[in-house]
Amino acid sequence: MILFDNVSKLYPTQNQAALESLTLEIEKGEFVFLVGPSGSGKSTFLRLTLREDKPTAGRIRVAGKDLHRLSNWKVPHLRRRIGTVFQDFRLLPNKTVFENIAFALQVIGKPRRQINRDVPAVLELVGLDGKEDRLPDQLSGGEQQRVAVARAFVNRPLILLADEPTGNLDPATSVGIMKLLDRINRTGTTVVMATHDQSIVDQMRKRVIELEHGKLVRDQSRGVYGYTR
Amino acid sequence: MRFQYVLSEITTGLRRNLTMTIALVIVVAISIAMLGAGLLIRSQAETTKGYWYDRIEISVFMCNEYSTGAGCADGAVTDAQRDTIRQTLESHPEVDEVFYENQEQAFERFSEQFDDSDIGGIITPDQLPESFRVALQDPEQYDGVVSAVSGLPGVQEVTDQRQLLEPLFRTLDGFQLVAFAITIIQIVAAVLLIGNTIRLAAFNRRRETGIMRLVGASNFYIQLPFILEAAIAGLLGSVLGIIALFVGVELIVGRFIAPNLQFTSWVDSADVWAATPWLLVAGVLFSMLASFVTLRRYLRV
Repeated sequence: MILFDNVSKLYPTQNQAALESLTLEIEKGEFVFLVGPSGSGKSTFLRLTLREDKPTAGRIRVAGKDLHRLSNWKVPHLRRRIGTVFQDFRLLPNKTVFENIAFALQVIGKPRRQINRDVPAVLELVGLDGKEDRLPDQLSGGEQQRVAVARAFVNRPLILLADEPTGNLDPATSVGIMKLLDRINRTGTTVVMATHDQSIVDQMRKRVIELEHGKLVRDQSRGVYGYTR
Repeated sequence: MRFQYVLSEITTGLRRNLTMTIALVIVVAISIAMLGAGLLIRSQAETTKGYWYDRIEISVFMCNEYSTGAGCADGAVTDAQRDTIRQTLESHPEVDEVFYENQEQAFERFSEQFDDSDIGGIITPDQLPESFRVALQDPEQYDGVVSAVSGLPGVQEVTDQRQLLEPLFRTLDGFQLVAFAITIIQIVAAVLLIGNTIRLAAFNRRRETGIMRLVGASNFYIQLPFILEAAIAGLLGSVLGIIALFVGVELIVGRFIAPNLQFTSWVDSADVWAATPWLLVAGVLFSMLASFVTLRRYLRV
């Protein structure tokens, strides 16, 4: 589903490579933790997967598409097959829960009928049914992140990328979000989650990919965080 | 859904940037008014040239008994000399028509012109020259005709009105050039301002556009509200500019210049109407283009 083949990424203003000769493959339906200290290349990995950036060297395949050969105007179609969740939720503050999720479908031109069908379904999946008319600031952090997950998943993407989705949440709420991501993973969606949250990685016992200074230092199935500060 | 979305985006965008939108509308209005004024000055220059070209003629004055000069050594022009001059003119390829004016007719015209002054009383017909008035096929081509008759015996003087009007035409050309230069500068300023306004609008909505990018909205879909916003501001500005132009033509030309300066015909609102579609298209198109170019730089994939 995601294939990095000898990928390097150098940012013009930095001496050290953000990614250095990274080779890894993530299969369809996997749940993968991406760990490593800040600046180890996790975010760069996610950005390259989303084709927000192009690698300096190497090849990347995502959802069956060779990103090197993907023309600019086809990039939006790639992104429709990838859902993304961030630490800071990135909801629109002046739109209700329903509108926030519907927005993701509107802007890719989905008909109203489909929106009225899919949004309530995904709200139920993330456990927010009954709160569709709330504004984001009327929700708790955990609930806001559920809205963000719902928005990322409403279009049934093949891949869900999560960049420290529990970074702003307390441990109990984080567990709720992890259960939700696990449920989404069980529908066959590939989930890649960059995180610093040791306890979550240790509890979940999923594949762990560890980066350091842009290099792959560990790739372990059913792994633990294994990294001490 | 799509349509509704785009429409609500545009209205919120224009409202949120109200001051910038107003500035944008004003600058577009001024630019369009300037552009229109430039076009009007251009067509005024054309009208004036056409007006005068139609009236331009070469006058071939013939000797009378008081004349001095090389061609008049034999005294007043003789019938034979007059016929030679007429034939020379009529057979010349550049000549359209030849009118003959005798001394009596010259005197009538003279008296008309100096009706109020005392000179009219002193002059008698025999003091005035008889002449041929020559209309040319192409007013630009006068050299050949002038040189063909200048040296003939019985010809006192050949005057070409185009030479008299040359400074006027040069001034008109100068006006056209200045108007054109000002218009270009205005358009550059307008395009930069539109770019900045749209950049600000894009910055204000970076959260929305960021999410749109993330969920895979097409570039076109992301940019459309901004481009239409610019188009609406451009349209509003153009309409205001055109109204200003109508008012300006009516007040300055219609009430002041045209009644007082009657040596040519002047531009009027019909000319503004003729320019209106071009100005509208220019205003909207420039605005859209400026915003499109800006968005390509600031709203990358």
